[in-house]
Amino acid sequence: MTGNPVLDELLKIVLWGTLVILFVSVNALFLVWAERKISARIQLRQGPLHVGFQGTLQTVADAIKLISKELTLPKSSAKSLYMLAPVLVFAPSIAAFLVLPFSPEMPMRDLNIGFLLIFSLTNVTFIGVFLAGWASNSKYALLGSMRAIAQNISYEIPLLLSTMGVVLCAGTLQMSGIVRAQEHGWFLFNGQVIAFVVFIVSALAEANRAPFDIPEAESELVAGFHTEYSGMRFALFFLGEYTAVFISSAVAVTLFLGGWSGPLLPPPVWFLLKTYLIVFVVMWIRWTFPRLRSDQLMALAWKVLIPFALLNILLTALFIQLQRSLA
Amino acid sequence: MADPIKEPQLYKNPAYLQTQSPAPGIVNLFHVEDVLNMARANSLWPLTFGLACCAIEMMAGGAARYDLDRFGFGVFRPSPRQADVMIVSGTISRKMVPCIKTLYDQMPSPKYVIAMGGCATAGGPFKFPGQYGILEGIDKIIPVNVYIPGCPPRPEALIAGILELQKQIKAGNVQGVMSPAAVNDSQDARPAEYKNAVSRADFRKPAAPAAPAAPASAEPKA
Amino acid sequence: MKAWLVSSVKPDEFAEKDPKSGVLFEALVGREHIREVAREFRTQGWFLESISIVDFAECFEIVYHFNKWGVARRACVKTLALKAEGEAASAPSISDVFRAANWHEREAYDMFGLVFEGHPNLKRLLLPETSKIHPLRKSFKGEPKGSDVEDSLRLIQEDTEGFEVRYPSQLTKSQKDYYLNLGPQHPSTHGVLRVLLHLDGERVLDGEPVLGYSHRNQEKMFEIQNYLACWPQFGRLDYVGAMAFNFGYAHLIEKAMGIEATPRAQAIRVLATELNRISSHLLWMGTFLLDLGAFTPFFYCFDDREKIIDILEMATGERLTYDYFRFGGLDHDIPEEMLPAVKAFVPEFKKRLKDYHKLVTKNPIFISRTRGLGVLTKDQALNYGVSGPCLRASGVRQDLRRDEPYSIYPTLDFDVPTMTDGDVWSRYTIRMREMEESLKIVSQLVEKIPAGDVTLGKLPKNVPKGEYYSAVESARGAFGIYLVSDGTLNPYRMKLRTPSFCNLSAFSEMIPGCLLSDVIAILGSIDIVLPEIDR
Repeated sequence: MTGNPVLDELLKIVLWGTLVILFVSVNALFLVWAERKISARIQLRQGPLHVGFQGTLQTVADAIKLISKELTLPKSSAKSLYMLAPVLVFAPSIAAFLVLPFSPEMPMRDLNIGFLLIFSLTNVTFIGVFLAGWASNSKYALLGSMRAIAQNISYEIPLLLSTMGVVLCAGTLQMSGIVRAQEHGWFLFNGQVIAFVVFIVSALAEANRAPFDIPEAESELVAGFHTEYSGMRFALFFLGEYTAVFISSAVAVTLFLGGWSGPLLPPPVWFLLKTYLIVFVVMWIRWTFPRLRSDQLMALAWKVLIPFALLNILLTALFIQLQRSLA
Repeated sequence: MADPIKEPQLYKNPAYLQTQSPAPGIVNLFHVEDVLNMARANSLWPLTFGLACCAIEMMAGGAARYDLDRFGFGVFRPSPRQADVMIVSGTISRKMVPCIKTLYDQMPSPKYVIAMGGCATAGGPFKFPGQYGILEGIDKIIPVNVYIPGCPPRPEALIAGILELQKQIKAGNVQGVMSPAAVNDSQDARPAEYKNAVSRADFRKPAAPAAPAAPASAEPKA
Repeated sequence: MKAWLVSSVKPDEFAEKDPKSGVLFEALVGREHIREVAREFRTQGWFLESISIVDFAECFEIVYHFNKWGVARRACVKTLALKAEGEAASAPSISDVFRAANWHEREAYDMFGLVFEGHPNLKRLLLPETSKIHPLRKSFKGEPKGSDVEDSLRLIQEDTEGFEVRYPSQLTKSQKDYYLNLGPQHPSTHGVLRVLLHLDGERVLDGEPVLGYSHRNQEKMFEIQNYLACWPQFGRLDYVGAMAFNFGYAHLIEKAMGIEATPRAQAIRVLATELNRISSHLLWMGTFLLDLGAFTPFFYCFDDREKIIDILEMATGERLTYDYFRFGGLDHDIPEEMLPAVKAFVPEFKKRLKDYHKLVTKNPIFISRTRGLGVLTKDQALNYGVSGPCLRASGVRQDLRRDEPYSIYPTLDFDVPTMTDGDVWSRYTIRMREMEESLKIVSQLVEKIPAGDVTLGKLPKNVPKGEYYSAVESARGAFGIYLVSDGTLNPYRMKLRTPSFCNLSAFSEMIPGCLLSDVIAILGSIDIVLPEIDR
């Protein structure tokens, strides 16, 4: 483009930033519509039908309505923290798009610790969740955020441990490197089945999706940590949740399902197809199972998932060592 | 907007209601308001607020056969901060009134109220001369946009009411009304036939035997 | 029991009653003996079914109905609370002998101003705390027109002013435990129930239901309406299982008048009631699973329920608050297409039940959420006057269709499922089995409905003067009505003994020690309908 490398870089950053924000918005629009339609079909009904063809404009209407709603500020809340919380929940997820490998040349910054960066960024959202519950000064919100903190801290460990097997096999933390290491076979079919299951379950719990959605358990806590939020602030929580689901699915695809690889279609299309397949499974699980209680949830993380993840690392390491000594 | 409790006469005056147009500013943003109204009408989020029998019909309306989600109406939000429309479905007992008012105040504007069923409209079958337990109609304390008659109204009637509300919002006519000035009107014009207490001794007295001339009747008097 | 009563207590009045009054015998004892009587009833295995108050000119008559669940025995003991100038009438409380009396006596205080000495917590139950009226007294002739708005505005003002007192912005000391208010607007309280929970973190220390948010002055309305005009009220008490409440009223008045419904009407009544029982349990199941977080079964349950509603709509024209029975029979006959529809429904529903068992009953998350939770022991259940599926889950084989058979139930073949654990899972299982049993009854009946009329030609003019009690088995338990008739067109006093009232009073026994999520599950498993509690 322009001769100046600094300007080139700046232009690339701006372009990429705009593309990411556009993609995140359209993605959220699509995912909300998909969720409502999928849940409707599972529940024997139609879902949004009249707003646009088959309800495709429904989320647009929802978004416009939420933008034009009055922004409430409870009198006894901690105001600056209250206003900061939704931003903290949503903004880091956008930043995580920097390193998602849509295609061999598309991660904006192919950092050599790209994989760790995603998890560090998505963890910032939990500070936002905690602030939301705390700053609202409402008992239900506080209960919701306490549950969310306990849940998210517990499930971080199996989430990361389950991916260590993949990292051992691939030998790198770079996202594109991990995809390239799967050229001879996806890690899911190459022995990382336990890791895949543990990862998906932990990712569900990290994103507060059912059956792990006790922080926003509608029938118990009114609306959980975002009880006191209205309008666009509430919409940011919503967007943050769907973006987190997308990012977790994208990471699962990268680590276990071969990333962008696939015949015929261009790599980004394969990447998106596989990601949306995992998202569909995530949604399917939500509408099928009842909710786990908070202590059962903790028990699942500490007594089941962590041992299995550790077992997976042990077995992978043994296997790799065996391969090396035989070769 | 004025608080309906403190200044209810404003909500009963048609002239005042007409002056409360949505965009009275210098810059005429009417096209933006149209778009906003279209979006608001198509994305009404109700508050889960069932009081009595009509709540079951509301639930049946949201269920698979009648599916309110088709109209964008299906996202029932439990928190009033995230809801647009409050469907008052069921009888309003006097103990419940402060809760309803608090919930109404907690909803952010623009907000709408649908009075579903006979009880929320005007007291329903629980209105009788001298009643002490219910509020005869929710429009006596908060402004209502749409009334749906029935006891309980069928889910189709609820859908008709929602479509009516959508029509009103799209036309920009979003101001709810409160009950007309004469709140002391009661359609129940029966005289109150309250009995007086009888003495227990009188009550327990065995009845006089039936006169022998009269034919044996089917009902004993004792 | 009779012998003991006559010999040791020497009641002021004693009468053996004939079956149409619903009780074996009736005794009037002095107020100094009533606690002794209550204790003796408890020792001999009887339980308190209902306490009713009748307002006479010189005294209040307190009527206790005792029942021996599982056997067809009911006794009525009365005592008088004399009214004196300038002071409230009072009577001794029996709430330490029978826990069921706790709420009954509070309601009596609320409605009549009757003070029960020795009651641990004599506060108003149904009316607002600051209310000053005692509405069911005969001297209360109602409020003037327009008072509903005045009263509501006063309550709003009190609520706003009391806010700072209840929720002060400055906390003077920090404490670990706190109070959480569940309701009255809450997605899972099944109506407008408020539960005041005392929590420590997420663990429940104590909980107390607060009633009255759905009080619709129905018992006062009965006193100025004639018997026919009372019919619509019964559909609106327990709107989910309205046929059983219709049945209770019809049974009461028919017993009192000494008439019997036609055979065809009796068969159709039982058919409609059992179909309604299935639809009530389906609604319960959908909302219970929604409380646990399973969103999808709700829609499937409602879909099945819609099929039943279609069938009942063919007969009655109504979807929900049925008003179909009349004294001596039904309002009108069923159309021809109803019976084939029922025949088609039975196998479809059997298949659906299998699906429910596959997806829900065997789901490990569901089992771990419900097993061992909210245990109500047999003694506690009996003490609180619990009836219906909750009592059957705690080990007592009680079913009024078997114990005090009415209509054509003796000719039908069905089981009464009972379990002993008394936890949430047992209550769920019992209701699933009851749906199967009701389906059995439906498929038996649909073959053999006799031809004939559904209405009696001529009815007696009035309900004869006297006191009557009748009880039927509704979807939630034993629904009883106590009628004091003075021979005129309106009842003198009609008291409703609704099953959910006593079932909910046992709630505070089931929750200490569990988590907040469990409270919701336990509340769902009791299966309450608020308007029948608050009347």
